[in-house]
Order: sequence, then C-alpha cells, then structure tokens
Amino acid sequence: MSQSLKPYLTAVRSSLTAAICLEDFSSQLVERHNRPEIEVDNTHTPELILNPMAIARNENEKVLIEPSINSVRVSIKIKQADEIEQILVHQFTRFLTSRAENFFILRRVPIKGYDISFLVTNFHTEQMLKDKLVDFIIEFMEEVDKEISEMKLFLNARARVIAEAYLTPFD
Amino acid sequence: MLQIEQNNLLLEKTITELINSEDLKTVERLFTDFDFTTYHVSNLSDEKSLILVSIYVKCWNDLVKYGVESYLDSKYSKFSKFLTKTSQESGYDYSFNLDLSILKQESIEVQDELISELSNLKRNCIAAPFEQAFKRYDELAQAYANVDVYSEEVKQELSNESVLTINYRGMDESIYIKPSFDRVTVIFSTIFKDETDKIFGKVFLQEFVDARRRSVQTAPQVLYSHNEPPLDIKSSVNHHPNENQGFVTFVLFPRHLTKGDRRDNCISHIQFFRNYFHYHIKCAKAYMHSRMRFRVKEFLRVLNRAKPENLDEDGKVIENRKTASGRRFEIGRA
Repeated sequence: MSQSLKPYLTAVRSSLTAAICLEDFSSQLVERHNRPEIEVDNTHTPELILNPMAIARNENEKVLIEPSINSVRVSIKIKQADEIEQILVHQFTRFLTSRAENFFILRRVPIKGYDISFLVTNFHTEQMLKDKLVDFIIEFMEEVDKEISEMKLFLNARARVIAEAYLTPFD
Repeated sequence: MLQIEQNNLLLEKTITELINSEDLKTVERLFTDFDFTTYHVSNLSDEKSLILVSIYVKCWNDLVKYGVESYLDSKYSKFSKFLTKTSQESGYDYSFNLDLSILKQESIEVQDELISELSNLKRNCIAAPFEQAFKRYDELAQAYANVDVYSEEVKQELSNESVLTINYRGMDESIYIKPSFDRVTVIFSTIFKDETDKIFGKVFLQEFVDARRRSVQTAPQVLYSHNEPPLDIKSSVNHHPNENQGFVTFVLFPRHLTKGDRRDNCISHIQFFRNYFHYHIKCAKAYMHSRMRFRVKEFLRVLNRAKPENLDEDGKVIENRKTASGRRFEIGRA
C-alpha cells in the first residue's frame, strides 16, 4: 500500500465509523412513513441532517460522507487518470449498480460528481455488523483501484501480444 | 486461437462431406462469412451430382473494376475438368458448377486442393485488387529502377498514381490500396460502433504502431490516424467527418511483396486485418466482463461477512449449528 493511501483509508474508516451511528426514525412530515432522511428533501426538517464530510486524497479521489439521523450516504470518486481508466471505471460501476439488489447498501445511481454511492440505513445496521460494513467499504475502495489498474495493464499486454502476433507472419 | 482462419470452415466441411459420401445427397446450404459475405451450396436442378456453389460479396462492384472475374478464372482454371463457371445465381455474384461424378474419380490430392481453394473463395475475391496493385508495383519498380526518384516530376507522377478503393463493408468502411515504386500502401478505414470499442481500439492500434519499433522490425510499417484520412488517399475519400472513424495505414515494403508464397501470404493476411482487430477487441471486452463478474462475487462475499454468524462465507444460511450440549443458536435479535 502506498504512503498516501493508508492515511486516506484510515481517515475514511474512522469518519465512517463515527457517521454510522443510526437509529430508527419515523418521518416527521408524512404519517406512518419511515424513510432515509438523507434521501428526502429536508428543507422542512433540517435538524435531521448532519454536516457532510468530504475526505480527499487528491482531486481525482475523494469520498463524501453525508450522515443523517437514520441513514448515511457514502459516495466514492474512483481515480481515473486517462481515457482507458474512465471507460473501465464506468463499466465496472455499471456492472455493480446493475446488481445493486444483491449488495443491499449499494445505491443504484451515484451522486453527481461521484462514481459510486452507498446508502446505509438503520435497517442495515440492525441486520449487519457495523464494523464489518465499514470493512466492506474500505476493502471496496482498495480493491477497486487495484482491479482497475490490473485491467488496464492487462489490456495493454494483450494489445501488445495481438499486435506482434499479427505483424510477425508478414515475414 | 490468436489468428483468424482465412478459409470458410463450413464451406470446407460441406464440400468434403459431399465428396466423401457414398451415395449422392440433396444439399441446400446457406452460410455466411465475414463482411456480409454469403455462400450458397445447392443442387443444380434435379441432378444430384451437379452442385452449384455461389458467393455473394458486398463489394463485388468494386472488385469487378479490379478484375476479380479474370483473377478467379485463372485461379480456378486448373480445376476446369469438374469446376466450371456458370452464370451467377440470382442474388449472388459468382457461381461455380461442381461436377461430383468426375471429381470423385480424381486423386485425393486433387480433391484436397480443390476443397482448400474453394473454401478460400472469399479470400480470393478480395485478393484480386491486391494482386492488381502488386502487379502495378512490379511495373513501377521496373520503370523507376534507374531513375532519380527524388526529382519533382517523378514525385508528381507517383502521387498521381490511382488509388484502388474497396468499400468492403458498405460506404463507411473501406480498404484503399496505393502502389508506388518501392512500396504499396494499404489503408483501412474502420468505424467503432461504441465508445468502449473506440478506446480499446486506440490502445490496440498504438501497440500495432509500436510493435515494429520494439520487436518485429521486419513487419510492415503501421500508422494510425484518428478521424483524418492520410494524405495519400485524401482525394479519393469522400470524407464526411465522423468521430468514430479511424484510418490504419500499412506500408508494405518490397520484402513483403516477393513473388510467390510470401506475396500470397501477405495478401491473405492483410485483408483479414479488420476482422482480426475487431475480433480481439471483442475478446478483450469479454475477458473484462468475466473478470468483473468474479470481482463482484468477491465483493459480495466480503459484504456477507457483515451479516451475523448464521451465514457462511458464500452467504448461505448455516442451519444446524449447535453448542456442545446440543442446544441450537438463537437466530435473530434478542
């Protein structure tokens, strides 16, 4: 793990642990509704929303944590250095979000400006262990970077082999 | 499976089957090949020993301009005893009449040769303009053997050399061939259907360009330009700017054009460039897909660890967990 990645992940981990402190909370506006407060328009009940936190490693890699009383929204911007990485990240996140129902906490559509978003509600923390949820998000961040760069390397290696295999028989 | 087979396996199998079967059968087969090519193998009228083999090639009209008919005639003339050209079947461009009763009496070698030549029918069709361009190169090479090729007039003459155009996939994708006295330039224009293909294509083409510098020094020179046709063919391209279009140039040097096997090999190899190239882009995409599938599974496994103990690594419910005294664990919240 590189020098700057570790403090970044540590910061995300502790902020997440602090943010995922949720309780069951029924809607104050609509009777018998219980909804993730971070996802609803809260102009009438601003007291339910906590201060959002942005943790950035650099301009291309950052995490936005938006806590509220019964839900936390975590959005991740994945590093994309060039066109190829952009395509790969796009494909990968599309692949993930189309399987969102298996991932419980994955949001189908990311927040604008980010590549992928998670939504953790009090129901998730009731069914799952909070520490392990945080572990998952951290591991996800680590693995995604690794996966993307591996795929890119693979693509280049493959292209090289293909090009040589094509050009050799000419002679 | 790096290289794409040049012959058509189905055609090969069909003809082999016909020759080897004891009694005569009725055939009616229709199959396709790259670049919208279609083959049709059927019985001629009611005579079961007479087989009609027809081919449809998208760019036939272009090929006719470059002498495909006479090229095919000469290519298949050695089989004239049992393989004769007939007027083309409607909807197809070129038809052969194959007489099985005579062919069956021929030696195995002749039969095999016929099968292999016939299964290369598409390759031979597209080869015609290449042959013509290479012939033109021979003439030019001789004409300019003792001339100062750097003088302005000669340069002018050479740049006026006509370009052979094959619109092998309709108007969007074409092959341009331009002969000169010391090289033949083959330019492919290709379209990328989606954004991913385009980016992957760029990576692949960059490697084609670099491969020669790195390891395969004797290979043809490869140049790549995106969106903008190379100067050589600028006049003959009816160019309407298209974001997804790319031009790949191969410069074939005299060493690739040595007469005989090498020249034939070069023709078969280069005309399959587009197929090879797009095939490998699709392969790379398929691999990425399977890789992502695997990674998603791994992520799910990690997430499932967050569930309380009654689930195993794969997220399946473990039901019969008991304590030493035989009591079951209470599942769910207290």
